[in-house]
Amino acid sequence: MSVSSHSMQQPGNQSRPDNEHSTGVADSGRWSTKRIAIYALFVALAMAVSFIEFPIIPGVQWLKYDPSGIVCLVAGFAFGPSAAVIVSVLGFIPHLFTNPWGTLMAVLVALALSVPASLIYRRNKTRKGALLGIVVGALVALAAAIVGNIIVTPFYAHMTAAQVVALIIPALLPFNVLKFTIHGVVTFLIYKPISNLLNR
Amino acid sequence: MPNIPVIELHDVRFSYDHGATWALDGVDLTILQGERVCLTGANGSGKSTLSRVIAGLVAPDSGTVTLLGNVAFDDSGAHADAYRTARHGIGAVFQHPEDQIVTTITEDDVAFGPENLAIAHDGIATRITASLEAVGMQDHRTADPTRLSGGQQQRVAIAGMLAMDSKVLVLDEPTAMLDPQARADIMHVLDDLQDHGTTIVLVTHHADELIHADRVIRLEQGRVANAGSGVDRPQPPAPSARSSREVEGPAESGLPQSDPIASAPIITVRDLTYRYPNADSAVFERLSLTIGRGEAVALMGRNGAGKTTLARMLCALETPQSGSIVIDGIPVARTTGSGASKPLSRKAREDLRTTVGFVMQHPERQLFAETVADDIAYGPRNQHLTESQVRERVEQALRLLHIEHLRDRSPFDLSGGQQRLVAIAGVIARNPRILIMDEPTAGLDEQATARVHELIRTLRADGVTTLIISHSQAEVDAIADRTITLESQAPQKTSAAARRNGHKPSFIGGLDPRVKMVSALALMFSAFAINSGWQLLLAAIFTGAIIGAAGLNPWRLLGSVHMFLMLFVFCGLLNVFFVRSGTIVARLGPIPITDDGIAIALLYACRFAVVIVLGATFLNTTTPTAMTDAFESLLSPWRRFGMHTQETALVMSLALRFLPTLGTEAKAIVDAQSARGGVIETGSPTQRIKAMTAIIIPVFAGAIRHADNLSLALDARCYEEGAERTHWRIMRITMRDIIAMAAIVVYLVALVALPALC
Repeated sequence: MSVSSHSMQQPGNQSRPDNEHSTGVADSGRWSTKRIAIYALFVALAMAVSFIEFPIIPGVQWLKYDPSGIVCLVAGFAFGPSAAVIVSVLGFIPHLFTNPWGTLMAVLVALALSVPASLIYRRNKTRKGALLGIVVGALVALAAAIVGNIIVTPFYAHMTAAQVVALIIPALLPFNVLKFTIHGVVTFLIYKPISNLLNR
Repeated sequence: MPNIPVIELHDVRFSYDHGATWALDGVDLTILQGERVCLTGANGSGKSTLSRVIAGLVAPDSGTVTLLGNVAFDDSGAHADAYRTARHGIGAVFQHPEDQIVTTITEDDVAFGPENLAIAHDGIATRITASLEAVGMQDHRTADPTRLSGGQQQRVAIAGMLAMDSKVLVLDEPTAMLDPQARADIMHVLDDLQDHGTTIVLVTHHADELIHADRVIRLEQGRVANAGSGVDRPQPPAPSARSSREVEGPAESGLPQSDPIASAPIITVRDLTYRYPNADSAVFERLSLTIGRGEAVALMGRNGAGKTTLARMLCALETPQSGSIVIDGIPVARTTGSGASKPLSRKAREDLRTTVGFVMQHPERQLFAETVADDIAYGPRNQHLTESQVRERVEQALRLLHIEHLRDRSPFDLSGGQQRLVAIAGVIARNPRILIMDEPTAGLDEQATARVHELIRTLRADGVTTLIISHSQAEVDAIADRTITLESQAPQKTSAAARRNGHKPSFIGGLDPRVKMVSALALMFSAFAINSGWQLLLAAIFTGAIIGAAGLNPWRLLGSVHMFLMLFVFCGLLNVFFVRSGTIVARLGPIPITDDGIAIALLYACRFAVVIVLGATFLNTTTPTAMTDAFESLLSPWRRFGMHTQETALVMSLALRFLPTLGTEAKAIVDAQSARGGVIETGSPTQRIKAMTAIIIPVFAGAIRHADNLSLALDARCYEEGAERTHWRIMRITMRDIIAMAAIVVYLVALVALPALC
């Protein structure tokens, strides 16, 4: 498991948050302390910002924007799909005990957004790759959000699935397009400075 | 004292940039068992890096490192096994107390190291008791360490190391963030440990902390400048022969004494009363003070006396319960007829932002831009100045702080001291007439401190009013015309708030957390199946019984979920509009309101209330530690499928631990950027996105900084993936759990069966 890796690690290795000057103890295993610490703080960040929710479409109060998807996207870009999964799943757990169905849906949407995006970016680590990743992720997440809403909304309101479907064009679609656009634009703007910080 | 070497370094070199510059450049050092060695030197001299090499947390680029007799690094590279063995005997304590805490109960935190060393349960118990006693924290054993004071947190961190039976303790500026009393407490603990034979390596830049050292080692640019013995030590780095003098020069001629009564008041505070949310007593009551135009005033007082709170109120970031504040004619807080204070209008707020510059604690945390010049320009740009005016302001601020040479550097590549100066420049660049600074020199070395002092004197000479919060009498003597001291009204909030009451747990509180977690989720998800009044009644009775068995005050519980009431009301309304069946009882414009609609609205709102109340009961009776223990245990079957269950649970636990920290920091960054004129609520989409990135980047930077510190702390506690661990908290299914599970099964069956019966 532990390898004397001082000379083996490449500088700026993006796939794992490990660094040089490794002593070979707990910082070169598959889950180094560095990796545990950075995942923990990204999960904490996703949790923290998931509490900042606000409606962005007037009149549709239950569709709230929260910026946690940005953290999932950044985690996926920086550390790969497995980080995207961890942040997307663990980041929403605090809400499980206040909004169980909504939480399951939020996790599903966050996964749909960040996992495809990180898979694409991993193969093509350029601005173009990031953009393509964000767009594909947003489309997958859009589908997931709409299907999820059709299933979950009837638990919260006395509506049939057909009634929810009727809301797709006037509410669900514009809300989610706007949401993923904000996610994408912000991620695109902040990713470079943040990756510089991570690779110092 | 036997002359056994515990640490031996030979020709150690260390570079952060692949050899372009050397943080350590050929260090030779031997430390003997039982010695107390101090490492000093300016910021960036390599003392911190050296302490990490000594603690076995990082490997150098070249040289030989022998730790506790283990050759950990030599010409053939790092030897993991030697490092591992050595680390078990070397403890490390770092500058930031908060980042070393891994859980939310003190004894669990102390237990974390012994758990990683796979110490048996009974052994952990004796180690917790002994090490907490050694640092005088035995009374806080069940307290939440994240809510203790910085000094208490550092003592807990030291206890965490002692519990691992550390022979050598390496402390990297452990008192940098502490007030004088807390610093004295830490030094007292170190004296005790020294008497008991622990080898101590202390990194410090406080002259008075060198007193009990056997040796003082001074680093300059990565080299040992002098390795003085205890005898020739009496020349601590007093502010004498250092270059700081010339920087301080111009203002040395002595300040012209201003008479506070003679100058017109610019800040007037009358009868100010402030109480923290949920606190029993006020921080201050009917506080009145006046500050004259052009005065330099120091604000002093113990931790918890409300210095920061007062500063935040002056900047309208906090609203007092009553009293008034007038700053340069702007009514920052006004007493209304009812006696309560009223927040100020948006226009007045903008005026205030232009008048008052606020340098918060650790202002370097608000840096975000790609270059220093860009970051400093953020404030002036928000004042709608022309681009040439902005450039002029930036140059002026750079000059004032002597950091012109940093103009095009990334703020994130600078040393901590340089970052502080850049952040201060970012506030100065808005040309405030009043400057409020909250501990601007805390944690800075002499040279950077001298720069800040010089700035304050220059601004004062230009007629800027300054209010400086400080713990240091020497600093106050150097820069202030007079001092305002806030007396602590309330006892330290840690005593009451942080200590958990130790009474016997309730029936629910005593359940196995795994049982509790699964049951809570089962009850919550099943509540969505409630479709009739009878089912709702059954659920309400069962939920009431659970609240009773949990020993919770139902009103307080409802109070804690009151923000969800809005959601219930909304959900209810939604159903009223969507249901068309039944008799129409009223019409709201074109929408008919039916009796069915109202009934369904009530049903949905109530069943949602059941869900929320059940969740709140679970959260109120389960500590985060218990939750993550349960989480890990419930995940453990997946381990055989290759899932890292133990690590995932640790990630979850650490995330919950850091959640409040990040929340507080994010709020501080939002406040700091809004004090520089950056707001998300108004402006064009581009401006808003810009304001958003100015907040998000520092928030991420903060998370990354905590992660860096935390990973070192995990290393110091000998956490290793896949290594065998023991558990201090043992979970057991008892009779109580079986009864609870039976009750839940009966309830669920009844809930399902009811529709068939009625």
